[in-house]
Amino acid sequence: MAESYIFLVEDNPDDAFLVSRIIGKVCPETIILARDGEEATEMLQKMADDASYRRIRLVLLDLKLPKINGIEVLQAIRSSDVLRSLPVAVLTSSDNDVDQERCRALGILDYIFKPLTTDRLEHVLSLNKDA
Amino acid sequence: MYEDAERRDMGPLPYDFSGIALLYVEDEADARNMVSKMLAMNYPKLKLYAADNGAVGLELYREHEPEIVMTDINMPVMDGIRMSREIKAINPEARIIAVTAHSDTSYLLNAIEIGVHHYVLKPINYEELFSVIDKILEQIVLKRLVGEQNRRIIESERQLSSAQRIAHLGSWQLDLADGSMNWSEELYRICGLEPGSLVAHYQSFLDRFQPDDREVIKNAIRLAADNRQPVSAHFCRITRPDGSQRILRVEAELFLDGEGLPATMIGTSHDVTEIKQAEEQIRNLTDDLERRVIQRTSLLQASVRELESFSYFVSHDLRAPVARLEGFCRALAEDCSNCGTTQCSVYAERAERVVKQIKHIIDAFNNLTHYAKCKLVIEEVDLSAVVRNIATGFEQSEPERQVDFIIAERLLVRGDPGLLQIALEHLIGNAWKFTSKKERARIEFGCNDQEGTRIYFVRDNGAGFNMKYLDKLFKPFQTIHSPGEYSWNGTAIGLATVHSIILRHGGRIWAEGEVDKGATFCFTLEPNPEPGNFME
Repeated sequence: MAESYIFLVEDNPDDAFLVSRIIGKVCPETIILARDGEEATEMLQKMADDASYRRIRLVLLDLKLPKINGIEVLQAIRSSDVLRSLPVAVLTSSDNDVDQERCRALGILDYIFKPLTTDRLEHVLSLNKDA
Repeated sequence: MYEDAERRDMGPLPYDFSGIALLYVEDEADARNMVSKMLAMNYPKLKLYAADNGAVGLELYREHEPEIVMTDINMPVMDGIRMSREIKAINPEARIIAVTAHSDTSYLLNAIEIGVHHYVLKPINYEELFSVIDKILEQIVLKRLVGEQNRRIIESERQLSSAQRIAHLGSWQLDLADGSMNWSEELYRICGLEPGSLVAHYQSFLDRFQPDDREVIKNAIRLAADNRQPVSAHFCRITRPDGSQRILRVEAELFLDGEGLPATMIGTSHDVTEIKQAEEQIRNLTDDLERRVIQRTSLLQASVRELESFSYFVSHDLRAPVARLEGFCRALAEDCSNCGTTQCSVYAERAERVVKQIKHIIDAFNNLTHYAKCKLVIEEVDLSAVVRNIATGFEQSEPERQVDFIIAERLLVRGDPGLLQIALEHLIGNAWKFTSKKERARIEFGCNDQEGTRIYFVRDNGAGFNMKYLDKLFKPFQTIHSPGEYSWNGTAIGLATVHSIILRHGGRIWAEGEVDKGATFCFTLEPNPEPGNFME
């Protein structure tokens, strides 16, 4: 079986470390890290071009990002013919109802308040399997 | 004689003679008695005085001043002519009837000179006498009527003049044919003139007004006359001779002549300077007040915005590092339990609890700011029902506790049902919590009316509080009980929330308490609180 990825978009190194730690506990996927929205969309576009996006098991997307924010990244994914069906879970530390509604409207697996726990990640991955 | 009596029966004279008196002076006793009787019979309402000579007659006259004097001429002591002269000197208006024999005619010239205008010849022809008396009575009564009428006219003129003066209301009449006018005294005074000091004419009337307003009034009067309409109220400025300005409210009615053509205009000029000044003052005050309200509102909005950005900071920016900290605590707890260093994992767990507390405070803070700025939806709320539900909830949560709830029936208010529910949950919750050490707890919800204001209260017989901490009670994050003493939840924001909600409802909240005796929380609510929020 070919290598598969968890695509993590997170600007804060501490958070990136914490999420990576949880991912490492739960699943064997390689982590691809994008440090802001712009980097994320560029990397995703490249993966769309070379079809490596197919190996992304889950996109973990922080909402509050420099340059291009998480919702815009999500919009870009959902409006791309190639990437539109990528499984995305949002990570956030704020309880903004409007953000949550917009994300759910765009299509997400889960809306997770930080910090991410092993239980929650397992749950999300199980949702993805069902889909 | 009987004929005369019959004549009188034919119908009463159409006047009221009551109060009129007649003095009859005659030295011959028989004649005097006879005539007196006839007079009394024919003029039952006439007051009759009789005398047997001029001197007695004059004395009676002085005493009673009768309107009519009927006198013989030739009498002892004082004759009729002399007496008449004396009487006329006292009262030139006295009516004197001379009763004369033919032999007395030589006196007549004298009598006429004195002002004796009536005479009856002896022997008395009663028909003639009564006709003379009737004529005199008629004159007296008519004169009285005219006098009365004049008195009334003078009275009502005085009244009108006083009324005009009090009301600062002048009136005028304008003859449209020649422009001649009649001004009331008050109109002169309003114009700063001595009454009557100026010939009242249309031009002098117009001259009072300031040039702009003069044209306005002139046009209004012309238009009214052309269109056969009244002059509607116009506010115009006049200038007094001393240079001061007054504002008049001028209006008039138009009267047509017999042929239906405009003839006369009768109008009023009301000096409304003070009223207008007061209006102006009120307008200025209102403007000023509005300006201040706008100013205050924008200050308020600014501070609400500040609060908003602060709460945004707390809920977004602060949450991220707290969540991070929580993540690291968990990582520490999980990984250290693997490495087996017990102390380490205890610290990690305790740190995690502290993080939870921080999150709790952030939540509480955000709730508090939410109540201060959220949109109010105003409906009718039955506070009694709300309190009953809350009470039932607490009773079910701790069925072992003995708490008597006394809840007044149907306390209906207008307010936001959700927010009022939260406020009462906190108040009843506090009462529930602070009576937990009482064997027999008692929690009361009711109201009383003081000086037209309804005051609601939640009273308990619990732990109470020391009144010296009163001002800390409603402040967020301040507590007056030690942690753990009464299952302290770590936020101390309940009463601050209640305070905020009551403020949003235009009310006040205060508390009374005594240690170990209990606490009473009182609050008022605006009868009709404003819906929406400050930012709109």
